[in-house]
Amino acid sequence: MLRLAADSGRVDVLVVGGGIAGLQAALDLADQGLKVLICEQQASIGGHMIELSKVFPTLDCASCITTPKMSAAAHHPNIEILTSTVVDGIEPLHAGHRVRVTRRPTYVNNDKCIGCRLCEYACDTECVDPFDASLGATRAIAVPFTNAIPQKAVLNPDACGTCGTCARVCPTGAIEFDQQPETLEIEAGAVVLASGFALNAMTVKPQYNAARSRNIISALTMERLLAPHGPYGRVLRPSDGKIPGSIAFVQCAGSRDASIGVPYCSRVCCMYAIKQAMLLSGALPIADITIYFMDIRAFGKGYESFYQNAKAMGINFVRGKVARIVPAEDGDLLLHVERTEEGIGAIEPVRHDLVVLAQGMIPEWHAEACTPVHPGPDGFVAASSLTSPTATSVPGIFVAGAAAGPKDIVDTIAEAGAAAMQVTRWLRQEQQRPVEALV
Amino acid sequence: MSDPFQGKKPEQPGLTPGCQRCEEQAKVGVYICRCGGNISDVVDVERVAEAARQMPGVATAKVHTFMCSDPGQQLITEDILAVGVNRVVVASCTPFLHESTFRGAVARGGMNSYLYEHANLREQCSWAHRHDPAGATEKAIRLVSAAVGKARCDAALDQIRLPNHRIALVAGGGIAGMKAAGDLAACGLRVVLVESTGALGGQLLGRGAVYPTETDAEHIVAGLRKEAEGNPHIEVLLNSRVRSVSGFVGNFQVTIEGRFGPGGQSATTSLTAGALIIATGFHPYVPAEGEFLYATHPGVVTMPDFLQMLQSAPGGTRMLEVQGRPIRSMAFLHCVGSRQIDGVHTPGPDGRLNTYCSRVCCTTALQQEIAVRRRFPETAVFDLYQDIRTYARGTEDYYRTASEAGVVFFRYRGEEPPVVEAGEGKGTRRTPLAVRVKDTLTWGEELRLPVDLVVLATGMVPNAIPELVDSIKLPTGEDRFLQEVHPKLRPVEVSVNGVLLAGTAQAPMDIRETLSAAGAAAVKAAAMFAHEDVELNPYVAEVDLSLCEGSGQCVTQCEYDGALQMVDVIVGDRSVRRAQVNPGLCVGCGACVAVCPQRAIQVNGWRLDQYEAMIDGIVAEVAVGAH
Repeated sequence: MLRLAADSGRVDVLVVGGGIAGLQAALDLADQGLKVLICEQQASIGGHMIELSKVFPTLDCASCITTPKMSAAAHHPNIEILTSTVVDGIEPLHAGHRVRVTRRPTYVNNDKCIGCRLCEYACDTECVDPFDASLGATRAIAVPFTNAIPQKAVLNPDACGTCGTCARVCPTGAIEFDQQPETLEIEAGAVVLASGFALNAMTVKPQYNAARSRNIISALTMERLLAPHGPYGRVLRPSDGKIPGSIAFVQCAGSRDASIGVPYCSRVCCMYAIKQAMLLSGALPIADITIYFMDIRAFGKGYESFYQNAKAMGINFVRGKVARIVPAEDGDLLLHVERTEEGIGAIEPVRHDLVVLAQGMIPEWHAEACTPVHPGPDGFVAASSLTSPTATSVPGIFVAGAAAGPKDIVDTIAEAGAAAMQVTRWLRQEQQRPVEALV
Repeated sequence: MSDPFQGKKPEQPGLTPGCQRCEEQAKVGVYICRCGGNISDVVDVERVAEAARQMPGVATAKVHTFMCSDPGQQLITEDILAVGVNRVVVASCTPFLHESTFRGAVARGGMNSYLYEHANLREQCSWAHRHDPAGATEKAIRLVSAAVGKARCDAALDQIRLPNHRIALVAGGGIAGMKAAGDLAACGLRVVLVESTGALGGQLLGRGAVYPTETDAEHIVAGLRKEAEGNPHIEVLLNSRVRSVSGFVGNFQVTIEGRFGPGGQSATTSLTAGALIIATGFHPYVPAEGEFLYATHPGVVTMPDFLQMLQSAPGGTRMLEVQGRPIRSMAFLHCVGSRQIDGVHTPGPDGRLNTYCSRVCCTTALQQEIAVRRRFPETAVFDLYQDIRTYARGTEDYYRTASEAGVVFFRYRGEEPPVVEAGEGKGTRRTPLAVRVKDTLTWGEELRLPVDLVVLATGMVPNAIPELVDSIKLPTGEDRFLQEVHPKLRPVEVSVNGVLLAGTAQAPMDIRETLSAAGAAAVKAAAMFAHEDVELNPYVAEVDLSLCEGSGQCVTQCEYDGALQMVDVIVGDRSVRRAQVNPGLCVGCGACVAVCPQRAIQVNGWRLDQYEAMIDGIVAEVAVGAH
């Protein structure tokens, strides 16, 4: 099954995570002739980026940027990808690392599945679609999403009623109800941790009452609502399908807040809120859109003018930390906020019909639980020094992207390239690999 | 849906009458992308496909939600094998994004990757004509028709392979340049590092402790310098500047002027490099005379000035003293030379405003404020800001710490920046300066802060590198920083192949970001140097020696030095002058094609018969009445 590893018994580099950081690092390594294995816990590579609608500051559709990189990695002769695979442990060896991984059962044999989706069409058990922020529906057996890589069906054992229809219609006999987890050991010269981020729960701030209203949504949910191929095909509020007329973005709803253990800035929320506000004003021209913020952090290249354009488009920017969100009976939400700029100083409730919370970024994977790397005080993988931002406390294990702290896509891609460079240096210097071997 | 080519079908499908190149049976596969709705929300893609199926030579026309995704690309490779498609047209977004993606798919299907054409239905149709779906659909059909016409005349082309000179020239010896040079040298590659001053280190020299680790900048510089100097793979040229660059990827001719002659005189040297890494960095913004009283009042200084003052300030007092003067209170003013607004700020000498955020000034200001408060607790510190942008890892703590250290914050609106003016008061209560601010933290209260010192948190301005910009036509943005091809797809590359960007020549960055950018540039160079040859686009001019009569008009017209020249060739038994193309330098602009009286010069892949086929395709009787 492991083509590259089978040839030599090992790979040059194992990349943990097939999001944009892992893909970029893998491509930059493989382009130099190094053999790379990507281990991705989801059933498709692409990470969070493939879930997004459009991306700032160019407003390119996210798929248009992500899918070619996914495809380039999938077709690269020096890259191999294991999906539905979690890393259980990384153990440094004399030269390189021993990585233990587990392939989780998908109940479909990927060597046999041809991605024809006949099983998906035949399956009559519907379940919520996690790719569409659980707003849309999918089948108990399905290819994860339109542009997933690999195009292999995955069976959801929690939803499946084991009726056997999929097995009957599958033309290649790929359905394996008795598939078991499979553990593999891989020797890798170096490891890149590109395990990305998760968002903290919407309920971390009890004052926001997210558990009491379906109309308080995550920013990633808003991404799916805005995606042209999203769950509704347009922007509707989840509780009653109403077209929202007044949308609020509550910034720093899970970051810059010591009371919830996330004192740091999540770095992307200002810009994605501005972007979503711009896309909303295109999709819903008569809607009022308000961004409640503490500081607008439009620091990247082209970001400040993006922010200024949003202001010129009529998006309301209100400086004030939202204190409380109270659901009203009609599904609307009352936001209690001090509007310092407007010369009021009083806290007056403001009514909105849809609220997007800017949750904080936290690590997706705690590498320290099964590897010798150290986390920083923020919980993300610590860098070994200021001048080696992609090196960890363990020689030969590197880190890139949001695994090393919140980061936007542009900075993630640059850092992934830097990590690839450091890996190359390390393999050449520490392992005395001759340059010719890579040509 | 009527047949758009009604009455115009050629008798032999697949052949264009009169076209000499359309000799084989072209079987064109047309693939139309919905772009997840970006195209299909406006353009009726099914109608485009239906129309394409009627076009001469088209074997199949398919629609997919994301052609650039793997399943989309698979449609192409499958049809090449199963249907025998031998020309491919993809109708999707701009070729700038995905032409190379689809060429790869075509090659994977076993075809020559230049038997491929691209029609732009997004930027040129659905986005440009979003309020006219019918018109956008008709235009899409015509563009596809043109691409099909051209595809049928496509000939297989091979990429031009030229030797790759595996030496990198790094312009700029700051931390970005040193880092990129060190990375490449560690991989056994040769590097020439050119620095205009007498020392490596750039803007970090003498900078003191840097955030977020409070490491001494000298320590960072020393580490990188140690790697660069005395490295057998790196040649360091100090007091030197790149004067000009010519050539192309794998083979740049670089002229360097510097004081490396005997006895340190100025001399010029040339070398050949395969890749150029531009790490020419930034300099701090210098306020105009009178801007916040800068250069007209001694109590107004820039951040770099203040860093020196604080480093050399005498200790042992509880109040900061500058040039013997006690500083009872001082103000840090953010966004000086950054986030400038038209109508509020005065443009610089080149007529431009610095509208961008310089990224590092907020944290630097807070860092210095904390240093002042800790060393000199009797000096009051005011911070006047718009937004505190402590976004980087470990920097939010600076904001909190500054607040805890007693720094007093005032938030102004960008449209109403603070005013620095001469102070008032009498005797010991007199301060030389005052800052007026409308503070939104206190609901717009107008305040006047008496201060002894004002520190302007000045932003970043890219260093001017006219020799490089002019000689290799480096693209710069409206902000004067060098412009990458695409911030996510090709973030360290510019439109000139083989030229890479490292650090603050591209945009403001902090130290970590600069080092990452340098690593990202180095890894691209390392990947390029993993190959013996460089591969260049085959869209270059080619002379048909059977037609050329040596008029030389093409050479006169050519704007690219060395791309075209007249040479002596033997025809029969006599020597004649004929035009010759240097494929490495030709950019395929076609200026030569237009002036040749014999039509003896053509651009491969864009021959005149292909243009004719495209025009025929556009003006074909496309059905427009179906809606």
